[in-house]
Amino acid sequence: MVPPSAVRRPFALFASLLAIALVLAGCASTGSRSSDAGSAAAWTYTDATGATISVDHRPTRIAAFADQALTLFSYGITPVAVFGRVPVKTDSRFADFDLSKTTIVGNEYGEIDLEKLAAAKPDLIVTGIYPTDRKGTLDTTQPDYGITDLEQQKQLQAIAPIVTVKVGGAGQDVIDANVKLAEELGAKPDTIAAAKKRFDDAAARLTAVAKARPDIEVTQMYADADGVYLVKPDDEPVTQLYKSLGVNLTDLHPDGEYYWDKYSWENAHQMMTGDVLLVNVEGYQVADLKKQATFADDPALQAGQVYPWIDAALNYSAQAEQMTKLADLIEKAKSVV
Amino acid sequence: MTSSPPLRRTRGTGWLAAAAAAAGVVLVAVASLALGSDHLALAAVFERLLHPREDVGAIVWGSRVPRTVLGALVGACLGIAGAVMQGQTRNPLADPGLFGVSAGASLAVVVGVYTLHTTSPTLILVLALVGAIGASMLVFAVAALGRGLASPVPLAIAGTAISALFAAVTSFLVLSDQTTLAAYRVWVVGSLSGRRLDDLGVVLAFVALGLVLAIANIRALDSLSLGMEVARGLGESLLRARLIGLGTITLLTAASVAVTGPIGFVGLTAPHIARRMVGGRHARLVPMSAVVGAVVLLASDVIGRMIGGRAEVSVGVVLSVVGGIAFVAIVRHGRMAAL
Repeated sequence: MVPPSAVRRPFALFASLLAIALVLAGCASTGSRSSDAGSAAAWTYTDATGATISVDHRPTRIAAFADQALTLFSYGITPVAVFGRVPVKTDSRFADFDLSKTTIVGNEYGEIDLEKLAAAKPDLIVTGIYPTDRKGTLDTTQPDYGITDLEQQKQLQAIAPIVTVKVGGAGQDVIDANVKLAEELGAKPDTIAAAKKRFDDAAARLTAVAKARPDIEVTQMYADADGVYLVKPDDEPVTQLYKSLGVNLTDLHPDGEYYWDKYSWENAHQMMTGDVLLVNVEGYQVADLKKQATFADDPALQAGQVYPWIDAALNYSAQAEQMTKLADLIEKAKSVV
Repeated sequence: MTSSPPLRRTRGTGWLAAAAAAAGVVLVAVASLALGSDHLALAAVFERLLHPREDVGAIVWGSRVPRTVLGALVGACLGIAGAVMQGQTRNPLADPGLFGVSAGASLAVVVGVYTLHTTSPTLILVLALVGAIGASMLVFAVAALGRGLASPVPLAIAGTAISALFAAVTSFLVLSDQTTLAAYRVWVVGSLSGRRLDDLGVVLAFVALGLVLAIANIRALDSLSLGMEVARGLGESLLRARLIGLGTITLLTAASVAVTGPIGFVGLTAPHIARRMVGGRHARLVPMSAVVGAVVLLASDVIGRMIGGRAEVSVGVVLSVVGGIAFVAIVRHGRMAAL
């Protein structure tokens, strides 16, 4: 549930000077790259934007934006560098993975330490790209996700080619795209198959639970002093996935604005149709929600069916875990609306 | 901004202005209760007002009543702070934020959110109060160490310098942490949405003290409007007058910023409108600025509620648009009342 926003940063000039220095330094030491056995053949990949990326060997040293890094980790590939939108060290989604061999080169949107990134010697950088509308339009005149501007994107490309994964449309498609990339990068088929098994089992259980409890409506939201933001299930790949498995997700205005529907606190009663509320961890939690007089009547809030919710990455294991959590919540939920 | 005497205007217009002000307040208060992003029928609003228990969803008592009360309070505080600020500095373009109060509140909120990782409205309110007071004391200390306080210029310069410094630190923190940025972005716009009356106790203490100081400052403001030399000749203690003025501005602006976040234009425009209605004598100008401030803020909030669809447009945004246009109109429509 990351709004596809690009945040401008003032460090571009400094960063560009640094990048020039790094590129010059890199030129002096061409040919010193290590090449593993089995990855000597040239590697090409066509990414979400249609760009074909070629590397003279299969990339083994990969830098990635947090969401894509999580996915690579889950398929047994340890990235050499990772940059996040929030501090990577405290990002609970990384708790299951060993970060000791990975350099953290960014802890906020667009803040990438180019020097550290270059020092990690990546031969490929992986990040996401978000569509700008419901049709899935990818605006390649804008920087890829996690990157401040095209200037910074150029600086990254000077270090290593960038591959993008589209984060939009059907959740299954995003998962598949992530798997395909992981396979191309040498993920072991056994590892992927094992993760897929967990995913399929969790999906089957979620489907069964959703079918048994069609009365339980689930609302995925974010709230702050201005009001409530409702995720539109068809616009967010994760919710699209759950919806496709039969989960009854709040979807009051499928048309209109892309991605979010915003309600003032005065209008919050219009969206109180959910029995279970999944509230984004970055906004108001139960205590603050209870203090909003116009939200105090919310049936799910009164029934204690409000849960903090993270943006789980779109890979088999993260989604298996998240879907199991969701199935548990739906299973034990009381219908309150 | 010539030096024509400010104590113009005849007695007769006083009652007319008072009546117009009273009518304005009643009108916007009724509008603020009657209109909102949820389009309740007028009869239903009235019914809910009379029978709080039947106020399903707390729309009237949980949303409109608090924001009407808070909007009027904040508008009045900003109006008074603006009038005192303009009187103190003899500058018609002085804003209550000039002495660093808003910048201090912003920095405290950002530091608090950054280190404590909280978005709790109560905590943000307390942080804003602490930051506003802290900034004001710092500005005062810097000015006192320098060229002294008799002239408002050192205060304004110190305020501008410290505001700039605080703004730089604020941007640095905000830009280096996404969560802080999100919380700050919501707060800095200036809004009456989601505010509650429950946290108001400490704010009311600030307002009460600020009002006492404002009243105590009125005679000195009239003397100051004649120039520092004349004021001194009239037996005014300039240091005392400055201190009380600074206290008024700090307390009232701090209270406002704590409730809504920083809101511009009200403190700047309300005294202008008031001055055109009742003239420059501060015994009338200060209360009238309070009334005009309340009317302007509430009216802007009502507009914001009506143009956002299911959501709302924050009063801070409405004021930057409407307030800006209104201010240009005031300046262009005849000359500004002289200070």
